[in-house]
This record gives sequence, structure tokens and C-alpha cells, in this order.
Amino acid sequence: MRRYIIKRLLISIGTIFVVILLLFILLQLMPGSPFNDEKLNVDQRAALYEKYGLDQPLIIQFFKYVGNMLRGDFGVSYTISKNTPITQLLQTRLPISLSIGGEAVLLGAVIGLILGIVAAIWHGTVWDTIATIVSVIGVSVPSYVFALALAYVFGYQLNWFPLLYDMKIPLQSSVLPSIALCMFTIASIARFTRSEMLEVLGSDYILLAESKGVYGPKLIVRHVLRNALIPIVTVLAPLIVGLMTGSLVVEKIFSIPGIGSLLVTAIQSNDYNVVIVLSFIYSAMYIGIMLVVDILYGVIDPRIRLSKEGPHD
Amino acid sequence: MTDIQNNADISFLPGDFELKGAENTKLDMNFASQRFWKEAAMRFRKNKGAVFSLITILLVILLAIFGPMISPYTYQQQNIKQTNWAPRVQGLENLGIFDGSESLKTSTGTKLKNAYVVDKETGAKNDTYYWFGSDALGRDIWTRTWTGTRVSLYIAVVAVLIDMLIGMSYGLISGYFGGRVDSVLQRFAEIINSIPTLVIVTLLMLIMKPGLMTITIALMLTGWIGMSRIARAQMLKLKEQEFVLASHTLGASNFRVIFSEILPNIIGQLITNTMFSIPNAIFTEAFLSFVGLGIPEPMCSLGSLISYAFKSFTTHPFQIVPPVIVLALLMLCFNMLADGLRDALDPKMKEM
Repeated sequence: MRRYIIKRLLISIGTIFVVILLLFILLQLMPGSPFNDEKLNVDQRAALYEKYGLDQPLIIQFFKYVGNMLRGDFGVSYTISKNTPITQLLQTRLPISLSIGGEAVLLGAVIGLILGIVAAIWHGTVWDTIATIVSVIGVSVPSYVFALALAYVFGYQLNWFPLLYDMKIPLQSSVLPSIALCMFTIASIARFTRSEMLEVLGSDYILLAESKGVYGPKLIVRHVLRNALIPIVTVLAPLIVGLMTGSLVVEKIFSIPGIGSLLVTAIQSNDYNVVIVLSFIYSAMYIGIMLVVDILYGVIDPRIRLSKEGPHD
Repeated sequence: MTDIQNNADISFLPGDFELKGAENTKLDMNFASQRFWKEAAMRFRKNKGAVFSLITILLVILLAIFGPMISPYTYQQQNIKQTNWAPRVQGLENLGIFDGSESLKTSTGTKLKNAYVVDKETGAKNDTYYWFGSDALGRDIWTRTWTGTRVSLYIAVVAVLIDMLIGMSYGLISGYFGGRVDSVLQRFAEIINSIPTLVIVTLLMLIMKPGLMTITIALMLTGWIGMSRIARAQMLKLKEQEFVLASHTLGASNFRVIFSEILPNIIGQLITNTMFSIPNAIFTEAFLSFVGLGIPEPMCSLGSLISYAFKSFTTHPFQIVPPVIVLALLMLCFNMLADGLRDALDPKMKEM
């Protein structure tokens, strides 16, 4: 087990390093410079380059950058808000994005689980059909379609919740975005729970439990759910990807001052320092979560650990 | 050879041998696969949702091809005098719907407005028709919606090609050769896979001009990984089986074993997986265009149309409805079609 964790950890660290290298190389390839002001003459430009360390050899720039990244010093924003440290930009924006994402995960997991369990227990009934329809729609319809529909109906027509994010009332403002974001989570968790539960329900050990006289909620909670929920850890990865892309769109629709909208603005205004930092943060979060998921899964289910230690994987 | 000749007094001439093997195996394979496909088609036809999706997709394809042709407008033609006109359709307008009127909510209350009316006293209308209305620059939304749908369909084709050409070969080769080849290929895939697609795509958008080509390349960089995993897993399952050993013994080349012995056995799963990657690719394109990193104006895709109409979606909601519905329909139908195909091609595979 320890070998597996160490190996997984090394791969993650390697990947983070590759990501930073990739980001750095891409930055060098990018057209334009952060100082596009035509009023600057050659000397002023050189002075600016020197100030930000852009005149040093690439390799030194790179290692400096890696060092700064790991220390959490992300440099300053060049164009979005001049000379503001990016850490400061993130301080206000990251918590907003994280809390909306967190709400979406929580809401989605709870509703998805309930839907999946209901569909599996009353397999083949109306409940099953409803759950299936909800999950097919949730998986296929993009989150921004939900976001637009919710914004129009509840934000504009009924006026129950603010149409645009209001910093003064963060709780009410985050309701619609969280619902829009969590549809995908609901759908995939419901689908997964349903199929896992059906498989467990059809297994021999459940038959044994039933013939021993275990029935009702006790059977479902103690015997079925416990076994069915182990693999649910695996759906986390696609969910996180969904949340990341979803957050960009949903933040744009509700004009939420989070990191998703910051990324879009940064790309459009060629503020490459901000883009690189955000890409790094997105990648680091993703890699970190994948690492936790893999290790968790190995801890929960020894079969996975053994097969993953095989020579080819 | 000499031993045999000495033992029995027979000598074989080249004419005694006839190459028959190839002919026979071909016949057999045809028979077997025909039954397989027939059964699959039968199972598919029973699935109402999948059949409905297939028909809807075909309809959307037809509309995408002919929609812009039958309209008098082009997708980039602007008419500054006819901006934000509500939908008006011949025939339907007599029924009181799609007659070009829209209710505008203002601070003084709701008021009904019809932009097509020329003479306010008689209520006479001109003979312009915008079936889906016109946008803020006076462009016909019908034409633009179907032109945008073409982009999504193009993306669907790209996704299939990427899956089939890159993903499948990568996975099959990695699984077949195993050992060091497999390790290297898998590490590479693992690293690409642990960088979020979102990051790869946004960075690509930075160094290249936004456009269809960039989106295609972005999909090419990231779209093949899921497929390669499935192909590899299937290959690992099959490559130790007797029929593979048999064809090796008969002197088949690696290429032949991979692509004409093993591939036909797993093509069902691969097709299913390809179908699932279509909606993903369409979504990626629509998402990028919506965020403003996709197709530049005046070209349009469903995502950019939604993004454009979003700016005025509280005042003119009719503008956002057609692209949203077409996009949602496409995504839904491709997903349901993939579901149906999976059940038809591989009834044993569990639902996920």
C-alpha cells in the first residue's frame, strides 16, 4: 500500500512539474507582450522588462517561476488591474467559486443519491422512469442551458432570486448558480447509484441476507448501500471536470466575480500571468483531487490496489 | 521435407496444393458478423428512445443542410433597419402565433409591439418574414441557427474521426505490444489526462487565433484519451485468446492481428464509446464559443449564437430559444442514441 501511495504521489508531482513547464513554454510562444502601449520607447520597454525579470535567460525565468509558484507568490497582473498581486485578486474570488462549487457538489450528491436509490429500489416503476429521464436530461443538457432557464424564470420573471450575483447577499445569489451547476452532478450520481445498486441487489449475498430474514431499510442501508457506494468515488473525477467548465459559463451568466470569469477576462485581455496562474490552480486542484480519489479508492477497496500495482498500470 | 519423402514414396508437386484458407474464413466471418449486426439492429429498433433520437438527428442534419438554402437571407447579411424583429411565419401568423408581435416589459408596464406593421392605422404588415426573428444586427436567426448547427455537426464528425483514428489505434497498439511500449504510451496519456481539458484548450486559444481550426486541434489533443483506454482494456482482454495465437502461428503480421483479427471482436464497444464522445465534443465547442473563445464573428456556431442572444435575453427571449433548443436536442439525442447503441451492440455491458 505504501509503495502504491508513493508511486501515485511521485506521478502527481511529476505531472504538476510538466504542467508548469507546459504553461511556461506556451507563454513564450504567445503573440504580443504584456506591454503593448505604443507610447513606450525602447528604453522604457527595456526598463519594464528588467523590472519584471523578463530579460533574463528562459531557463532562469523558468526556475524562478517554479519557485515562486510553489511558495504561493504568483506575481502581479499586467493588464486586468495593473500591478495588483494575483494572490490578492484570488483572495476575494477563489472563496466565491469554491463555495458555489461546494454547494453544487453537496446538493447534487444528496439529490443524486436519493434519486438513484429510489430508482433502484422501485426498479421498473414510475419512479425509475422519472429518475432515468432526469438523469438523461441532466447528463445531456449543458449546464448553461439550465442556468439561462433558471435565470429567466426565477431571476427575471418571478424575481425570487437576484438575476445577477450580489456581493451583499451571497447566500440568495448563489442559489440559482448552484442549482444550475449541480444538475450534472445529480444526473451522474443518480445513474451510477442506480446501476451499482441494481447489481448489488441481484447478487448472491443479498439473496442470503434476505433468506436469513433481513429486509426493509436494514437490508438496503447495511447490505446494499454499503457495497454499492464504494465505487461512487470513481465518478468524482468527471464531476470535477464538469464543475470546472460549468463554473466558467455559470459565472459568466450570473456575472459572479469568481475565478472562472477571471480566467475568461484574462484570456481576452492577454493578461498571461493571470492565465498561467489560473491554469496552474485548475490543474493543481484537479491533480490533487485525482490523487486523493485514487488513494481513497485503494484504501477502501483492496482489489483495486492489487490490480493497480501490476506491472502495466 | 526429405524425411517424409524417404519414408513414404510420395512426392508433392506445387500443383497439389491449393490455397483455400482465406476463402473459407471470409465466408465464416461474414456469416457470423451478419447475424450479429442483424440482431443488433433488431434490438436497436425495439428501443423507442434511440429510434426517435436517430430520426431527430437526421432531421436536424437535413435542416442544417437545406435550412440556410431555403431562406432568402445569408448568415452574415445585416439589415440595420430590421433589428430585433420577433418571429413571423407564413400561415401560422393567421392563427395568432408567430405573427411578429412581442410583448416588451418596460418600467411603465408591458406593451405589445409588432415591428412588421407598416401602417399603424390599418395594421397592414410588410411582406418580410423572419421565421425565427432577427437579431440585434438585423440578421436572420433561422439562417444563423442552421449555419451554426453545421459547425456542431462538423465537430461531431471530427470527434468520431479522432476517436477512430487516434484513440483506437493508440489504445490497441499500447495494449497489444505491452511492456515498455505500453508503459511509455500510458505515462504519456496519463500526463495529458491529468491536465484539465479546459486548461489545454484555453492555452491553445491563446497561442492560436480562435476559430474552427483551433477547436479541431484542441479536440485532437484531448479527445482521444477515453477511447484509447477502452481500446487498450479490450485488447488486454483478448490478446491472450486462442484465436490470436492461431493467427500468429499462421504467420499473420502484427498489423493484421490487431486490425483484422482483434478489432472486429471489439468494434461494438468502440462504436458505442465513439457515440458517447460526440455530445462531449459538441458541448466543448458550444462551451468555448459561449465563453467567447470559439468561432469569431460573423461566422456562428450554436454556442456563439447563445452567447450573443444572451446579452438581450431578458428583453428579446425569442432570440435565444432556437439555438438553445437545437443544441439541447442534439446533445440529448446523441446521448440517447449512444445509449441505444450500447444496449444493441453489447447487451452485457452494464449501464454507467
